[in-house]
Amino acid sequence: MSSHDIAIVGYAQSPSWERAELTEVQFLFPVIADAIAMANIDRRDIGFTCAGSCDYLSGQTFAFVSNLEAVGAWPPISESHVEMDGAWALYEAWVALQHGDIDVALAFGSGKSSPGDPMQIYPLQMDPYTLTPLGADPTSLAALQARALLDSGRITEREMAEVAARNRADAVGNPAAQVSGEVDVDALLATPYVTAPLRAHDLPPFSDGACAVIMATADKARELSDNPVWIRGIDHRIEIHQPGMRDLRESPSTAAAGKAAGVGDGPVDLAELSVAYTHQERILTGALGLGDGVKVNPSGGPLTANPMMATGLSRIAEAARAIQRGDGKRAVAHATSGQPLQQNLVCVLEGEK
Amino acid sequence: MSEPVVMMDYFMHLEYEEVVCPIVRRYADALMEGKILGQFSPKSGLVYVPPRSFCPVACEWLGEDNLVELEDRGVVTAFTVVTPVQYYGQEETEPFVKASVLLDGPGGMLSLQDILEIPPDEVRIGMRVEAVWLPPEERNQDEIGNRSWGSAAGAILGWRSTGEPDLPADTFTDKVY
Repeated sequence: MSSHDIAIVGYAQSPSWERAELTEVQFLFPVIADAIAMANIDRRDIGFTCAGSCDYLSGQTFAFVSNLEAVGAWPPISESHVEMDGAWALYEAWVALQHGDIDVALAFGSGKSSPGDPMQIYPLQMDPYTLTPLGADPTSLAALQARALLDSGRITEREMAEVAARNRADAVGNPAAQVSGEVDVDALLATPYVTAPLRAHDLPPFSDGACAVIMATADKARELSDNPVWIRGIDHRIEIHQPGMRDLRESPSTAAAGKAAGVGDGPVDLAELSVAYTHQERILTGALGLGDGVKVNPSGGPLTANPMMATGLSRIAEAARAIQRGDGKRAVAHATSGQPLQQNLVCVLEGEK
Repeated sequence: MSEPVVMMDYFMHLEYEEVVCPIVRRYADALMEGKILGQFSPKSGLVYVPPRSFCPVACEWLGEDNLVELEDRGVVTAFTVVTPVQYYGQEETEPFVKASVLLDGPGGMLSLQDILEIPPDEVRIGMRVEAVWLPPEERNQDEIGNRSWGSAAGAILGWRSTGEPDLPADTFTDKVY
């Protein structure tokens, strides 16, 4: 099936706060305003808006409705919401643009996880009979995955620490990063396990934050921007919910989404992957067939900035920024949902210059 | 022989700790001094109480310069008579009223306010009311949060009739919430 060309013409990210003073809608407000300003459009030009967020994080019923106040929803607008990362909101908006009756769409993701305890909240998304009562939290499931990978000899704890050190060094100078700096791998390996075999550096921060992306159809994108970033392919796939029925060392859903999105159809210069746990970089680069020449997470990635529900969309924004900055011509952005790497979205981006 | 499991209980317990945002802290501190603060949007002409740092209608960011002190008198523009159902945690036993109060002067709407001293069936749209403040030493910020339901609880006990003549109810058809 052929699809219409869609390009990214604007994006913005908030800082990643450990504990934001502002409310979710308050910190969303300037992010959406900045994305609109970058796209050179008026709010009223947006034909469709799609948001990704999770009310459980902040514990506020219908938080996703008040988030719309940051968009300007009066007079009424056409909008939708996914209880997922904003990358899936972008996918829905991309589908809406495919219909051809609108030419500009906004996708955003936001999360304020600091009021609650993600280790209590995330088990609630698991199977309610066999996993939630066990407290199957993201760290424990990622640790099982890391153990499987280590036991099979596909990675070492040192290589995992090297991912953390590289990400933190790359995050220096990224205004969206919560964690950054030069760290010594031996020093990291000398620290105790949090949940064996994962140490603190193997785990992501939980950040409060937001990201917004504006897309346009081909003609409109050329009118709005002299440097649009084209979405050459986008696809998402899901695996069975029960982690015990998956080979956690592989990510066939990422591989399938990457193939459908056309990752292998050309050279890849850089990739922004939702590597929230250090060992997952190895799984994802393998599934996507990314070789050593591909710069992975030059922004620092989710191990340095992890705004829940916006982390995946931020990968797309960071990849678009890197292309516009001239760091590469063709990039892969990846988002994940569920535990651990249960559902995966892959987006191939390409610049004009 | 044991019976197959057909049902299981799982009790979920989540705790949240919220930081009250800066502009609502200003509002809460003012309530302790007997003042109701709102925020005025020059572009839309609307007043928000509690202040929220932006106007969603004009899409305008609002700062400290936009703070305005509001009147503690106003008019009931909408109300609901709540007949309590004795669900777990319900402490009320008799019907009560929650009303929207449009404040005098610059405006601003406080919703979910208690109407005091008269039975629910005597509350009317257009009724003139004034705030019944708790004594300063009894005021607290316990109920103040970011959820913007117009709460002044902890400082204002509720609202009572001023005895002035009602305003025409159909003046407030666009002020139902």
